[in-house]
Amino acid sequence: MKFTPKHIEGNVNVSKTHPLAELGWLVGGLVLLALIFYLSLGVSTDIAVAKIPVSAEVWLGEHFIGRMDALENESLQRLLQPLLDSLPADSPLHEYRFQAQVVENEQINALALPGGHIVVFSGLLKQAESENEVAMVLAHELGHYAHRDHLRRLGRGLGLTVAAIILFGQDSAASDLASKFFLVSESHYSREQESAADRFGLELLVAGYGHAGGATDFFARVGKDAGSRIPYLLASHPHPDDRVRELQELIAARGYRVDAVIPLGQDLRKGLPLSKESPDKEPASWQTGKLHGFEALITRRFKVRPYNQKKFCLPKRH
Amino acid sequence: MLEIIYRYPDLSLFLALMVIGYSCGTIAEKRHYKSIIKREQELVKLMVVNAEGRFAEGAVRTSFLVNGSTVVSNDYFKRLLAILRNIFGGRVKAYESLIDRARREAILRMKEEARTRGAHMIVNLRLETSTIGRSANKKNSIGSIETLAYGTAVVMNRP
Repeated sequence: MKFTPKHIEGNVNVSKTHPLAELGWLVGGLVLLALIFYLSLGVSTDIAVAKIPVSAEVWLGEHFIGRMDALENESLQRLLQPLLDSLPADSPLHEYRFQAQVVENEQINALALPGGHIVVFSGLLKQAESENEVAMVLAHELGHYAHRDHLRRLGRGLGLTVAAIILFGQDSAASDLASKFFLVSESHYSREQESAADRFGLELLVAGYGHAGGATDFFARVGKDAGSRIPYLLASHPHPDDRVRELQELIAARGYRVDAVIPLGQDLRKGLPLSKESPDKEPASWQTGKLHGFEALITRRFKVRPYNQKKFCLPKRH
Repeated sequence: MLEIIYRYPDLSLFLALMVIGYSCGTIAEKRHYKSIIKREQELVKLMVVNAEGRFAEGAVRTSFLVNGSTVVSNDYFKRLLAILRNIFGGRVKAYESLIDRARREAILRMKEEARTRGAHMIVNLRLETSTIGRSANKKNSIGSIETLAYGTAVVMNRP
């Protein structure tokens, strides 16, 4: 046998596909799959949410969050009561037993947790000026309950996080990225949900107080600090200025009166006696972090790093 | 821009690693292939077979073991492609060139050793591939592959 030295051109062992083209196909496929999953999850959540009875929701709330009866704030409850009394008789909200609570947190925010727990952060109360304004915030949260937005959010956020973990495994970088992405997009209510809750809140405020005074105060004040509109193009929350404008348009269209507001009582402004009851108790992550209730629970439960938790921080100097 | 980097440090890090992985990986691969082809042409006359050598009595002056080994590292971009492939299945094309380069480089090194030691041919070529560096840094490991080529170099009794 004769050996003929010959250099072979070309390479059969390496595919000719350009790596960027392959990346495009793979990412495209993944996005498509995620989209289909997300849409189907959305549809199934919407169907399920309408069928979940309030009693089941209350059980769910207690199961996840734990009983918080002791935290009920009387002054805040007093503000909530006229709103509840002015609900129409056939409103499904009558099935809830709403509890308004104050949680010590510098954030200017309020949450609607499953089972009728309305949490108002003390940061909001500190800078609020009138009862009507706080009542508007409470009415807005009641709007979330009326539309059952809080359950919708729970369903999707939970489903997506679980899916990401099943798909990639708990510790992989891909699942970290995916869950982060999903939690970012699921961490707030949608613009439509917020606007609908605003409208509901306004109607309830007018029904409870007889006029629309103070309805826009809260958003107007937040709007001053919110700064540029550019970040809000992508945000799920509408810009506070836009919410003020929408509310004012609605007030004008319906012909609501705007009367003088009732100043916020000192008891609410500073009154946080309940936080001192258990100073040694470690605050829950949803109380301390920037996360909303269920994202915090999900992230804690599945050990997903929350998206806005600073990974690198400098040590405190004393 | 800076604000985005500050707000999502790990996401920006991930993207930066992807860009570095792709650009540096592509440049390194192109240069490596260029050098492989050049050296293969230089060494093409040195015969390498994986058959067991059978020689007539007295034809072989001496024979000895030659080996060549090389380690080629994965990069972040290839790893991402492979992770995505793991979801859909199919050929992991990103890793094909890695294996191919390692194999050819190892054979080349083996041939070079044989040439410097005056061998006329290499018989009984064997190739072994293994991964290294996977357990060294568990979570975000970027593995490497090692390929070892070894064979029996033969020096003939030629005039």
